[in-house]
Amino acid sequence: MTLVTLKIRRYDPELSEDAFWQSFEVPVESGDRLLDALHHVKWYLDGSLTFRRSCAHGVCGSDAMRVNGVNRLACKVLIKDLGDEITVEPLKGLPTMKDLLVDMEPFFDAFRAVKPFLMTSGNAPTRERLQSAEDRARFDDTTKCIMCAACTTACPIFWNDDQYFGPQAIVMAHRFIFDSRDEGAEERLEILNDKEGVWRCRTTFNCTDACPRGIEVTKAIQEVKRALIFHHT
Amino acid sequence: MTVIEAPRSRARSRTSFEMYSWIFMRMSGLLLVVLVLGHLLIMNVLDGGVQRVNWGFVAGRWASPFWRTWDLMQLWLAELHGTNGLRTVINDYAVRDSTRFWLKMLLYTSAFLVLVLGTLVIFTFDPSMK
Amino acid sequence: MVQFHTYDTVIVGAGGAGMRAALEAGQRSRTAVLTKLYPTRSHTGAAQGGMCAALANVEEDNWEWHTFDTVKGGDYLVDQDAAEVMCREAIDAVLDLEKMGLPFDRTPEGRIDQRRFGGHTRNHGEAAVRRSCFAADRTGHLILQTLFQQCVKHGIEFYNEFYVLDLLLNGGRTAGVVAYELATGELHVFQAKSVLFATGGFGKVFKVTSNAHTLTGDGMGIVFRRGIPLEDMEFYQFHPTGIWKMGILLTEGARGEGGILRNSDGERFMERYAPTLKDLAPRDLVSRAIYTEIRAGRGCGSARDHVYLDLTHLPPEQLDAKLPDITEFARTYLGIEPYTDPIPIQPTAHYAMGGIPTDIDARVLRNSTEVVPGLFAAGEVACVSVHGANRLGTNSLLDINVFGRRGGLAAAAHANSQVHHVELPDDPAGQVEALLQRLRDGGGQENVAAIRTALQETMDAHASVYRTDATLRQAEADIRALQVRYEKVGVSDRGQRYNTELLEAVELGFLLDLAQVLVVSALARHESRGGHFREDFPTRDDVHFMRHTMAYREGTDVRLDHKPVVQTRYQPSERTY
Repeated sequence: MTLVTLKIRRYDPELSEDAFWQSFEVPVESGDRLLDALHHVKWYLDGSLTFRRSCAHGVCGSDAMRVNGVNRLACKVLIKDLGDEITVEPLKGLPTMKDLLVDMEPFFDAFRAVKPFLMTSGNAPTRERLQSAEDRARFDDTTKCIMCAACTTACPIFWNDDQYFGPQAIVMAHRFIFDSRDEGAEERLEILNDKEGVWRCRTTFNCTDACPRGIEVTKAIQEVKRALIFHHT
Repeated sequence: MTVIEAPRSRARSRTSFEMYSWIFMRMSGLLLVVLVLGHLLIMNVLDGGVQRVNWGFVAGRWASPFWRTWDLMQLWLAELHGTNGLRTVINDYAVRDSTRFWLKMLLYTSAFLVLVLGTLVIFTFDPSMK
Repeated sequence: MVQFHTYDTVIVGAGGAGMRAALEAGQRSRTAVLTKLYPTRSHTGAAQGGMCAALANVEEDNWEWHTFDTVKGGDYLVDQDAAEVMCREAIDAVLDLEKMGLPFDRTPEGRIDQRRFGGHTRNHGEAAVRRSCFAADRTGHLILQTLFQQCVKHGIEFYNEFYVLDLLLNGGRTAGVVAYELATGELHVFQAKSVLFATGGFGKVFKVTSNAHTLTGDGMGIVFRRGIPLEDMEFYQFHPTGIWKMGILLTEGARGEGGILRNSDGERFMERYAPTLKDLAPRDLVSRAIYTEIRAGRGCGSARDHVYLDLTHLPPEQLDAKLPDITEFARTYLGIEPYTDPIPIQPTAHYAMGGIPTDIDARVLRNSTEVVPGLFAAGEVACVSVHGANRLGTNSLLDINVFGRRGGLAAAAHANSQVHHVELPDDPAGQVEALLQRLRDGGGQENVAAIRTALQETMDAHASVYRTDATLRQAEADIRALQVRYEKVGVSDRGQRYNTELLEAVELGFLLDLAQVLVVSALARHESRGGHFREDFPTRDDVHFMRHTMAYREGTDVRLDHKPVVQTRYQPSERTY
C-alpha cells in the first residue's frame, strides 16, 4: 500500500463557472488501475467527483480521459506506470459537462455522418455472404474500435476545428470501405472528401498513440486517402 | 434530451479541391526538390559559385527558354506550395472565423503580388536594360 | 418538473437484447430506447467467445443436438420448449447478424468459422463439436457494434443516460415507465403501450465478478418492487476463468482453442472431473472443480488461492489471431506474457440464469401462468428459462438475439393491437420522487461504497460456488443488517447535473433486494443442481426440486412459490461429461 496524489481538474457549473485543480491523496495497491484510485476518491473522499465508467477492463470505452497530458482509459492504465503525482483532466475538444465527464454528442454526430453500417443492394442471400479470410483480415484492425473518443480528442486539428470528422469517424468509415461485402464505399469516400474530411489530417500520429485498442489509426486514415485518389478499395 | 437522428447531411462541397490540393503538395514538393536543389547547385556551387553571379550571368541563362521555364516553374510551384501550406496552417491554428478570413486574405494578396511580379520579370527581362 | 412523453413501445436498456428488440419494434411502432449508458457501453460488448448455432459449417451438427446440450447443461431445469425455439432460431440469428454486417471469422471456403465451446457436443455428448460462431475474442463487442450500427441506419430513437427507476402499472396492465435524466436530474414519464426490459444482470452483488460496474440489476429490482416475481434467482453462474482477484473474463474460447487448466502440481485436473470433455466441461462443473482443487491445497501462488490457465503450448500466431484481447488483458493487468507463462485465474461471478419470468415471446409473467399485458423482458434480465440451472457458454449471446428479436416483435404487435394507451396512475412519478428525496436527504451516516463492499464480501464468502444452510443464513442476516444501514445512507452531491453519486445509491438498493432474493431462494432449494451447489445437499433431487422457484416481494420479506418445468423430449438423467 502506497500513497499517490491525484490532481484532478474539477468543474461543476452548478457551483461555479470556473474550473479548478483539486488534489487527493489516495492509497493504492500494486496492480491498481487509475479507475480504482478515482473510485476511491468518489466512494470515500468526495462523492461529487463525476466521471463515466462501466466495464473497467478496456472494452466499453466509457472512461477515456486525459492522464498526465495524454488520452488514456482510466481502467486500462495502471497507477504504477503513472508516477506519484497523476494529473487527470477531461478529454480536450469536447465540451466539459462536469468534472471528467464530457458531452459525447458531437463525437457521435461525426460517427453517424459517415454512414456507419453495412450497405448492400439486391436480395440478401439465404445463407451468409461469403468472404475470404484475407478479405476479412483486410479491415480487422478497425473493427476493434470501442468509440471511446481517445483518438478524436487527441487530434490537434479537432481541438481547433470541431467540424473536422475526426479520426474515429474515419476509422469507422474505413471498417466499411474495406469490407468486401459492402457497396457503400463510394458514398462514404465522397463524404470524407469534404473539406472537413480526411484531407484535414496532418498525420501527427496523436490518434495512433492514444488508441487504447492499438488500432493503427493514422494508417487507416492514409488508406482512406489513398482510396480516394486511386479509387481502389 | 439526446436523440440519435438519422445520419446528418452536412452542407458538403462537391468539389475535390482538398484532395487535389493534397496531391499538389506532394507532387510539387517532389518537383521542387529537383528544381530548388538544381538551382542552388548552379547558383552557389558550380563554376566558382555565387561569386560569378551578376547581371551578365542571369542574362546568359535567361537567353535560353529552358532556364526561363525552369525558373518560372520554380516560382509558381514554390509560391503555390508555400501558400497552400500556410493556408492549412491558418486553418489549423486560427480559431476565430474572422481571424482566419483576414489572415488568408493577407496570404492570398501577397502570393498574388509575388507571382505577378516574378512572372513579369521572367517574361519581360531585357538584357540590354540599364 | 416532470416531463411527459408518449410512445407505442419503450425499450429499457440498450445492450444486445435491447437493441435487437429495438430494431424490430422500431420498424413497426413508435419506439424509444431508454438507456442509462450510451448504447455501445453495454456489457454485451465484453462477451468474447462466440455465439453457438448449428450451422454445420465445419462439421456435422444439428439444432436438436444443440437443444440437448442446452437442456443437459442446464441440469434439466431448462424449459425445453423454449430451448427448442432458441436452438432452432439460432441459425437464423447468426445469419441475420452476418447480413447486418457482423465480421465473423471465416473458414477457408469463406463461410462463418466455428469453434469448440464448453458443453457443446456432437450427437448427445459423444465429443466436443465446433458450434460457436465467432469474431476473434470480441464477438460480443462486434454484436453490440453491429446492432448499434443498424439502429443508426434505421433511425432508432435513443434517450441516452436516462435511468429508468419505476414501472407504471394500472389495473395490472402496463402504462409506462419513469426515468431520471442524468444530465439534468429531471424526471420523465414515458407512457407506452408496450414496455420491454433489457437491462441485464446484477453481477455487482459479488466482489469478484466479470460484470461491469453498471450491472446492478435495475430492471429486475424495479419489477420485483412492483409485485412481479423473479424466477430461479438462486442459480448464478461463476465463470471458471476470471483473472485472479480482478475477475476480468478470459473467454472459454481460450480452452476451445486448446488452453488447459492446471493446478499447483502442473496437473491437468479436469481429466479427473470430466473425462470426455475435460477442460470444456460446462462452467458450473469447472468452477467447482477449481475450488475443489484449491480446497485440497493444490491451488497456486503463495496463498494457494488460484489455478492456472495454460496457453503456453499454443503457437503465438494462434493466440494473436484467435485470442488477441484476452492475451492483452494478461499483459496489461498482470504483466504476464501468455506465450510463455500460465495465467492465474479463479472463478468469477458472471451470469444470472434467473430473472424476470417470461414466456417464449418475452411476455412477462405475473405468476406461474398469467402474463402482464404490455410488459416484456429479454436477455439476462429475463428467465425464459433457456438456461435452467446453468447456462452453456455462448448461449447468452444467442438468448439476447433470439429473444430480443421475439420480444421486439411481440412488443410492437401488442402496441399495435391496442387502440389507446393504458391511463397513467395518479402522480406517476411520485414513488421515484420519494425514493430520490429520501436518498438526497438521508443523514449520510452510512456510506454507499462501504455497504456495497460489505454486501459483496458476504456474497462471495457465503453464497457463491459452494453453499450450505449455515453460510446462506449468515448471508441472509448480513443482508438484513445492510438493508437497515442502507436506510441511513445519504448523498453528498447536492447537484442536479450528472449526479452519479445519487445513481450509485439507487443502484445499491436494487443490489440489496436482489441479493436477498438470491439467498432466500437458495436457502429453500435443498439440492444441488447446475450453478447451485449445496454441500449439505450434494445431489440433485428431481422428486422434490424439479421446479422453478418463483420469488415474490412481501413487504420486506421474500415469499417463495413454484412453477413447473416444461419437459418435451428429454427425461432427466445423470449429468456426466
